[in-house]
Amino acid sequence: MTSSSLQFAAAVTIPDHLIGEVHSKLAYVDERIAKAHISPSGDQITLELKYAIPAAERAAIEEKVQRVVLSMAKGAIRPKVQVLEDYLDRPTPFAADPMPELLRRGELFQEAEGIYALGPLFTRLIEWFENRFLQLADSFSARPYRFPTLIPARFLERVGYFRAFPHSLSFATHLRTDLDQIDAFAEGASCDEHGHLKVPLESFAPVRTLLSPAVCYHLYFTLADQTLPPQGVVATAVGNCFRYESLNLHSLERLWNFTMREVIFVGDKEFVLANRELARQRMQRVFGEIGFAYRVESANDPFFIGEFRKQAAFQSAFQLKYEIRARLPFKDGTLAVGSYNYHQDFFGRHLNIRLPDGSPAHTGCVAFGLERIAFAFLAQFGFDSIHWPSSMQEVFG
Amino acid sequence: MSENVSSNPLTNRIREALSLALQVPIEGISDDLAFGDLPQWDSMGHMEVMMRLEESFGIEINAETIAALTSVAAIRQYLESNHLAAPS
Repeated sequence: MTSSSLQFAAAVTIPDHLIGEVHSKLAYVDERIAKAHISPSGDQITLELKYAIPAAERAAIEEKVQRVVLSMAKGAIRPKVQVLEDYLDRPTPFAADPMPELLRRGELFQEAEGIYALGPLFTRLIEWFENRFLQLADSFSARPYRFPTLIPARFLERVGYFRAFPHSLSFATHLRTDLDQIDAFAEGASCDEHGHLKVPLESFAPVRTLLSPAVCYHLYFTLADQTLPPQGVVATAVGNCFRYESLNLHSLERLWNFTMREVIFVGDKEFVLANRELARQRMQRVFGEIGFAYRVESANDPFFIGEFRKQAAFQSAFQLKYEIRARLPFKDGTLAVGSYNYHQDFFGRHLNIRLPDGSPAHTGCVAFGLERIAFAFLAQFGFDSIHWPSSMQEVFG
Repeated sequence: MSENVSSNPLTNRIREALSLALQVPIEGISDDLAFGDLPQWDSMGHMEVMMRLEESFGIEINAETIAALTSVAAIRQYLESNHLAAPS
């Protein structure tokens, strides 16, 4: 008997604080899953499949889902949520979803799932926020860097990225340097109705590079196997980042290809933590000036299932990550638009970045998702600039 | 073998737990060992230590405690002050 849906009890009850995390990982379980749902009580899972499949294959999918549930939820430690700022109840003048209007105005053009071209209004909004982030960087006398979009596989291997985030990797390669392969590609390459490029896998060279998932990693690699100056390092850079999100790709809230501005601190523990805190306080003033509705609260990175339970609990316990979560009035929810991060001496150890006394350096960064913050702004303030903060009206008129 | 190793039974049980969690010979676990002193006692290693302590001592460790139990001495103090040192 075949069926295109599947409902079963979770192997262990998923605690409420993990339902969203487990749900996001179900997107990676099987290519035949179209949609997943976890009951609010955390004990029932429903899957909608793209097409009907036999019972044996449904059982295999259920087994994979239970692996995710057990790995993430069994023995999970409830995180200690710490709220550093809470301005979610600031009144904002707009309540609709900005996506339809952005598409109607030609401000957004979807090239593929999670990939958008941005129009003039959106681009100028991003520039406005970028100027504020650059002012933040200047306040620390941060040195500007430009980093490549590609990142060598061996770099990511050295910092354990493959174990922690395998699901979100994006690989970059090229045709093998062989005239026959290149000629055959040029003659026969075409896309099918799903947009899949029909090319034999053996046409491609071995993968040595990926599309970079973060900006600050590039700085850490430039500092590898070196001793830092006594005053530490503060740097800033903006770059394209790539994190594949499977079924979770959604509007501008969750992109595959996005842009991130970071201010990065490398030095001893006190230096990094003090600067991270200073950056938070300075951004608090910037957000206050425009009346942005948001909250800063402790969070964890989206580690993959095998690493999730331990890594997320560790981040939570040591308060290593705080997210800036902007209110999205149209869905009565929030969206992470930035984060304040402290990595302890993780990169210092793995990359042999040393303080003058020979001990491993500590690192931290503040990061802002440019598309997301502009999107959240439009979701709160709408398209009519007369309702925008006065400091922005001067620019956008 | 480290010079700083006691014959205190509780400390020895803690050392055994750390040895198993970090996959380090027990001789490498000194009484003054702390998070970060060994490459194995990193973030992942620390969570292995926490889970091993839960198993060995029959306790439940919460998020606040995870951040506090960062040395053999701190673990011993926690177990003693919470009367959790009885054999499991």
